[in-house]
Amino acid sequence: MRGFELVHPGSLADAIGLLDTDDDTVRPFSGGTALMLMMKTGVFRPSRLVHLGRIGDAYSEITASPAGGLRIGAMATLSALEHSPEVIRVAPVVARAMTRLANVRVRNVACVGGNLAHGDPHMDLPPVLAALGGSVSVAGPQGTRDVAVEKLFSGYYETVLGRGELITDVVLPSQRGWSSAYLKCTTRSADDWPALGVAVSLRIEGGAISEARVVVSAATEILTRLTTAESALTGAAADESTFARACEAAAAEAEMVEDARGSADYKTQLLRVYLRRALTQAVQDGAVS
Amino acid sequence: MTIHRPTIDRPMPAGQVGRSVPRLEARQKVTGRADYVHNLVVPRMLYCKVVRSTVPHGRILSIDTSAAEALEGVYRVVTADDIRTVVPNPFYGPAFHDQPVLAVEKVRHVGEPVVAVLAEDPYVAAEAAQLVTVEYEPMEAVFDEIEAMTSTAVVHEVLKPAGTFPDLKHLVGRRDTNIALDYRLRRGDVDAAFAAADHVFAHEFKTQQVMHTPLEPMVSLAEPGEDTLTIHTASQSPSFVRIEIARLLGWPENRVRVKVPHLGGGFGAKLYIKLEALVACLALLVRRPVKWSLTMEEQFYTITKHASTFRIESAVDKEGRVTGRRCEVFWNGGAYADIGPRVTQKSGFTAPGPYDIDNVSIDSYALYTNRPPAGALRGFGIPQLVWAYESHTDLIARGLGLDPVAFRRKNLLRDGRPQATGTPVRDAAIEGVLDDIAARMAWETPFDRGSGPVKRGRGIAVGFKASIAPTTSVAIVNVAADGSANLYLSTVDMGQGSDTAMAQIVAETLTLRTEDVKVVHPDTDVTPYDMATLGSRSTFHAGNAVKLAAEHARDQIAALAASLGLPPGSNYAPADLFKKKYGMQAGNIIGVGTYIPEYKSPAPETGLSDNVTPFWMVGGTGVEIEVDTETGHVRILRMVNACDLGRPLNPKIVETQISGAALMQLGFTMFENMDLDDGQVTNASLADYKIPGMHDVPDQMESVITEAEQKSGPYGAKGVGESATFGVSPAIANAIHDAVGVRLTEMPLTPQAVFRALREAELNSSTTSA
Repeated sequence: MRGFELVHPGSLADAIGLLDTDDDTVRPFSGGTALMLMMKTGVFRPSRLVHLGRIGDAYSEITASPAGGLRIGAMATLSALEHSPEVIRVAPVVARAMTRLANVRVRNVACVGGNLAHGDPHMDLPPVLAALGGSVSVAGPQGTRDVAVEKLFSGYYETVLGRGELITDVVLPSQRGWSSAYLKCTTRSADDWPALGVAVSLRIEGGAISEARVVVSAATEILTRLTTAESALTGAAADESTFARACEAAAAEAEMVEDARGSADYKTQLLRVYLRRALTQAVQDGAVS
Repeated sequence: MTIHRPTIDRPMPAGQVGRSVPRLEARQKVTGRADYVHNLVVPRMLYCKVVRSTVPHGRILSIDTSAAEALEGVYRVVTADDIRTVVPNPFYGPAFHDQPVLAVEKVRHVGEPVVAVLAEDPYVAAEAAQLVTVEYEPMEAVFDEIEAMTSTAVVHEVLKPAGTFPDLKHLVGRRDTNIALDYRLRRGDVDAAFAAADHVFAHEFKTQQVMHTPLEPMVSLAEPGEDTLTIHTASQSPSFVRIEIARLLGWPENRVRVKVPHLGGGFGAKLYIKLEALVACLALLVRRPVKWSLTMEEQFYTITKHASTFRIESAVDKEGRVTGRRCEVFWNGGAYADIGPRVTQKSGFTAPGPYDIDNVSIDSYALYTNRPPAGALRGFGIPQLVWAYESHTDLIARGLGLDPVAFRRKNLLRDGRPQATGTPVRDAAIEGVLDDIAARMAWETPFDRGSGPVKRGRGIAVGFKASIAPTTSVAIVNVAADGSANLYLSTVDMGQGSDTAMAQIVAETLTLRTEDVKVVHPDTDVTPYDMATLGSRSTFHAGNAVKLAAEHARDQIAALAASLGLPPGSNYAPADLFKKKYGMQAGNIIGVGTYIPEYKSPAPETGLSDNVTPFWMVGGTGVEIEVDTETGHVRILRMVNACDLGRPLNPKIVETQISGAALMQLGFTMFENMDLDDGQVTNASLADYKIPGMHDVPDQMESVITEAEQKSGPYGAKGVGESATFGVSPAIANAIHDAVGVRLTEMPLTPQAVFRALREAELNSSTTSA
């Protein structure tokens, strides 16, 4: 790759203006950890990168809401998530997931918004945020809108974000009373991309599950909510036999993709096992107060 | 993770050999001051980028370079026709002259260099390379080593062995075959042994193609002089590069200068000719310096480790003694022979393992296929062999209901007994290595087998290797007038610590401090011949040459003292002698040492020789693992690696050689795998080809230096760079079998493979019980 133009807009509006183009060689750039890999291998050859680092500090703030939710600026780094007292208190599952995400050098520069907007189904953060009921605030030439994280992805490396649109914040609803866990499984080196990611979030009242969210990623083409597994959980006792039924439902429902990390059948087996372990861990870790 | 360090320094009289001297270059490396070719820039330099074949086998119909030439900043676009104006017969290789500098008429693997683009800006060169179009007529390709034995797809129309090896002479001019070498060994009466056997065991084992993954990718820079050529290269074999480039150019050796600074890892990837031939031709063609640096991705298309298939069959008597063994080994050499035929023969003759077996037959085949070429990789074929024969040994023990360690002890090759070739085994602590591992693992005591879905098991394996022979090393020790010393040597310190070890030998012999000996890095205008830094040969061969050179210098210092009338044994400093002799601080003493061990080439018909190697390397591994039966994941709780390396020159460096080799083999065992689709490597990047990281290191790792001495080695030492690779793979497969009762016969041992085997075993047992 030869040269490209790197521009540094000083405001969100300027950034959106620069990105409001049909030229797909113009792209936003935040941490750059994923984009640089694509540029080095020649998969992506930009004419212009719009650096978002100077649009304002407000976009990297993390604030807890009085109701027990969380607002995370899109330019917050993954290590900011990992170490934020608010994240650790409100959504401890997010902070825990960070410790096995890539490595400290990547986490120090990669940003939350880019991690979501990249649309890579192997990322750890999207399934966790989706299971927590998170949504993103999106700003674009036509104004702002909110999109649920589980609806953000439209295909392999594809999102519903339109021309000139940028994620500005991630919003988590109140986590009080929810028990959550995320497990990932690698099948080659420990630091490989996951063969499977599974995130669960349960609301347990009087020993019974009143609400459940189950999200699978990495093994599927896009992040997927497993609604039949959720139905198997909802209204049932939070015990082994319920979990076993939910795992079978998940295995029947999820459409696994074969790749170098494993066959579709094998990944289905991993889902059975890891979903059960994630549910067990969520119950063990207990609810956020 | 805990790393057990039992290091006890056992220094020699001068306190240098046997001491854990910190690496001489360590500070330079961690402060970023060490020299690498990667950082070298010279005036008027051009960067090279090559256009690579997109088909595994095909005839080149046309090459269109016009768009690339038209790109601003492109200096020149070069094809094989241009190369031929510099070198009329542009084919190179250490065993066969089969590899073209740029593809001539046809391509034989995806990724083969076809066209070279030169520009002052490397990004311009890379962009221009994308603009070259090459049209191919696809030809039938062959990828599997067994299919290559009989396939109608033929990679090379005619075999072109280099003239230097007597055992390749019978292959000259052979046509329409993919068998680059058929090595055979026959000892005793194998058929009779099998006919008389109480038990016969037969198995087949496979290994996959993997890559060295040096973190410094290959890089070479050639600078033309008036009638000379200087090549700066990240090479493990500067002396070979000089000889081979001189041969290609038809020049005397002394007009080619090869310089090697530090290397960021080699592992066998940077041997013989890799980038040097092309940069040499390009530099002479355009009369400007040319630099070529590979990307990580390109390394996967340059040199790899042989995939292999090994069929092994044993005859066993009722006492549990192995009386006969048949070995058939097929090495997938890829499109160019590189050093593959040497792997086939030099490693092939140890295929029956470190066991005392009277009747042996070995057939070992080097095969051409349309995969990227395979060559030397840490272990030189031995890990593939040990994988098979130690898995097989374990299966025999289990089949006979014998303890695997006791069964091995019953059959081990003991001191003085002849190995398969007929060469008696001496100074090889095979039993010592096995005993050390068994003792560390408390093999005789009961073992916790785990509970619930997580089962525990343990396994052990031991292997051995003959040193490559006959090879030569030359060293020069230069004592300056103040008594300080320089060592001139073409051995390459690629991270293994040879500079430090060699300086220790000089220091011990001349009674200096190791830190005060300066090692001059390879520069063929300055440093003398060394065959290459490979096959764990340096400590023994170069070490002996260095010791001879230091002794030669020491003797001359003594002679100088005598000539000055000093009585023998009097206490003097060399600096005083020089001053007394020359009246001032002046003069030098040059000590020279040349070492080549004795060797007898195996007889072509039988493969037998009574002196096939100057020394044996022995390595073994024991592991304790747990298997998650729900997912097939294997976790290594403990790994013990023991090696016979003679007496350690530098115990701490030795331990890191042991742990490093074992971890490298751990990656090859558990997950590393070049995924190929029609000859294309689909995971050719560090993002998709995974090597072990810190989290893959076993919970507990122990490196054991088995008590031993190599009497013919310098200060009792021999090589250890590869020994800890030998036992890793079969030890883990044996432990998996021990834990969950299933046997994997193909690497890598992925969780999916373990899980599938468990599922099959479950189905089989339910069918049987039904």
